Amino acid sequence: MTESSANKPANGEVCHRTTNGVKPCRNGFVKNHYQQQQHQKSCYLEEKVYHIASNGGLYSRPFLESFEQTPMLVAVLTYMGYGILTIFGYLRDFLRDWKIEKCHIAREREEQKDFVPLYQDFENFYTRNLYMRIRDSWNRPICSVPGAKVDLVERASPDYNWTFEYTGRVVRDVINMGSYNYLGFAENKGMCAESAATVTECYGVGVASTRQEMGNLDRHRDLEELVARFLGVESAMAFGMGFATNSMNIPAIIGKGSLILSDELNHASLVLGARLSGATIRVFKHNNMQSLEKLLRDAIIHGQPRTHRPWRKILIVVEGIYSMEGSIVRLPEVIALKKRYKAYLYLDEAHSIGALGPQGRGVVDYFGLDPRDVDILMGTFTKSFGAAGGYIAGRKDLMDYLRTHSHSAVYATSMSPPVVEQIIASMKCIMGEDGTTIGEAFVIHPALISFL
Amino acid sequence: MALGDAWKQISWFYYQYLLVTALYMLEPWERTIFNSLLISVAGMAVYTGYVFMPQHIMAILHYFEVIE
Repeated sequence: MTESSANKPANGEVCHRTTNGVKPCRNGFVKNHYQQQQHQKSCYLEEKVYHIASNGGLYSRPFLESFEQTPMLVAVLTYMGYGILTIFGYLRDFLRDWKIEKCHIAREREEQKDFVPLYQDFENFYTRNLYMRIRDSWNRPICSVPGAKVDLVERASPDYNWTFEYTGRVVRDVINMGSYNYLGFAENKGMCAESAATVTECYGVGVASTRQEMGNLDRHRDLEELVARFLGVESAMAFGMGFATNSMNIPAIIGKGSLILSDELNHASLVLGARLSGATIRVFKHNNMQSLEKLLRDAIIHGQPRTHRPWRKILIVVEGIYSMEGSIVRLPEVIALKKRYKAYLYLDEAHSIGALGPQGRGVVDYFGLDPRDVDILMGTFTKSFGAAGGYIAGRKDLMDYLRTHSHSAVYATSMSPPVVEQIIASMKCIMGEDGTTIGEAFVIHPALISFL
Repeated sequence: MALGDAWKQISWFYYQYLLVTALYMLEPWERTIFNSLLISVAGMAVYTGYVFMPQHIMAILHYFEVIE
C-alpha cells in the first residue's frame, strides 16, 4: 500500500553529497543541478496533479487541501461593523469621562493622578467597549467533567455583562466543542480513570522532584517504553508540560551557529524554544515546499551571514497538523528535501498523534512513512490521550543525550503518577493491547481534520 | 396566516440588519440613536428626491432633446 521514503531514491541520493555547507562549485550552482530540476518539476507536478504512486510520486494517495478565501462582502461588512462599534465606544468613553455615566472599569483614584499611571485608559478601549458587551459568550462556568458533553451553570447579567449572577439552574448535556478531546478519553469514569485512581493510592500524587534527582519512577520508564513502541522508534522521553517540552528541549539540541527553518504558522512554544536556543531562525511560507527548498539551497550555498562558514546543523521545524488552520504538513516532500540537503527534521505532532493514520500513530502513519526518517518526533498527551504532558522520541543516542542535557529533566518536576497511568491506559487502548476493541473505532476520517 | 409569515420574515430581516451593522451588541438606547440617525438621513434623501425629481426629469429630457 505504501512506499516508505527510505526505499525511494528521492532524486538526491545519487549525488554523493558531503555534509551541510559544502562549498559551492563553479558558477555558484550546487552539484547535479539537473537532478534539482527533476525534483522541482515533480514537486510542481504534485502541486497541480495531486497524486500518484505510479509515476514515482511521493504520495500514496491524493492529498487535497483547499482553504477558501474570505468573500469580499463579508470582509467589508465586518470592517463596517467594527467602525460602528468604535464610534459608539468613543461616545460611551465621552459619557464616562464627563461623569454622565458611571464607569465600571478599574481606574485609579483622583489622589494618584500625579504618579505613573497604573492603568492606561486608552489601551483598554477595546476591552471596555467591545469585549465587555459580548463577554457572556466566553469563560462560562461548568459543573461536570468536560468530556463529550458538559453541564453549564446558567448565569444572567443585569447590567450588560459588567457583573453576573447565577440563576441557580444548570444547562445539561451541552455538546462540547471546546476541549481537545479528540478520542473521548477525557472522562471521569471508565478504565483509564480507574487505573489512575489505583495508581494514586499506590504512588501518591507526585514526588515534587526532578527526573534526575528522585522523581524518576518505574511508571515513567514504562511510559517511555510504551511511547517508543507506539511510535515505532528506539527510545522516547516524557515531560510534564507540552509547552515546556518544546521550549526547553530545542535549546538543548541546537545552539548558536546552527540554522532553524521553521514554518510561518508554528506554535508559540516552538518559536520560543527556537529563540531561546540562540540559533539563526528563518521562516518559510506555510506548507510551501518551494519556499523551504529555496531557503535550504540559500543556506547551503551562502553559509552563515557574515563569515560564510557552513552551518553546524540545519533543523527544519514543522508541525503535524497546524492548530489554527487545520492543514496537514506535506511530510513526504519535507522528508525528501531533508534527505537531499542533509538537514534534520523536528516534527511536532501535538494535534495529530492519536488522531491521524489507520492505527492512530500520527501523521507519519497517515502518509505511510518510516518513523526513522524523522529525526525528532515530538508530541503532546494533552489532546488525544486526555492527559497532560509531552514527549520527544527518536534514536537512542539522542534520547540519552536529552536525558542528561534537557533543561526540563534537570529543573522541572517529573510527571505525576495518575497522569502517567492515564496515558498508559489510553495508549494501550488505542494500540488494542488492553484486550478490548474500543481502539478500532478511533480512526478519524481525514476530511474531518479541519474541524478539529 | 400570510400576515404571520410576513411578520416572521420582517423580523428575520431586522435580525440580519442588527447582526450585519453590529447593532446586536449595543444597548437599546444606542440602537435607538443609530436607527433614528439612519432613518432621518434616509428620510432626508427621499424628501430631496421627491422635491427635485420633476426638475431632474425635465433636465434629462431637455438634454436628450426630447423636449424643446
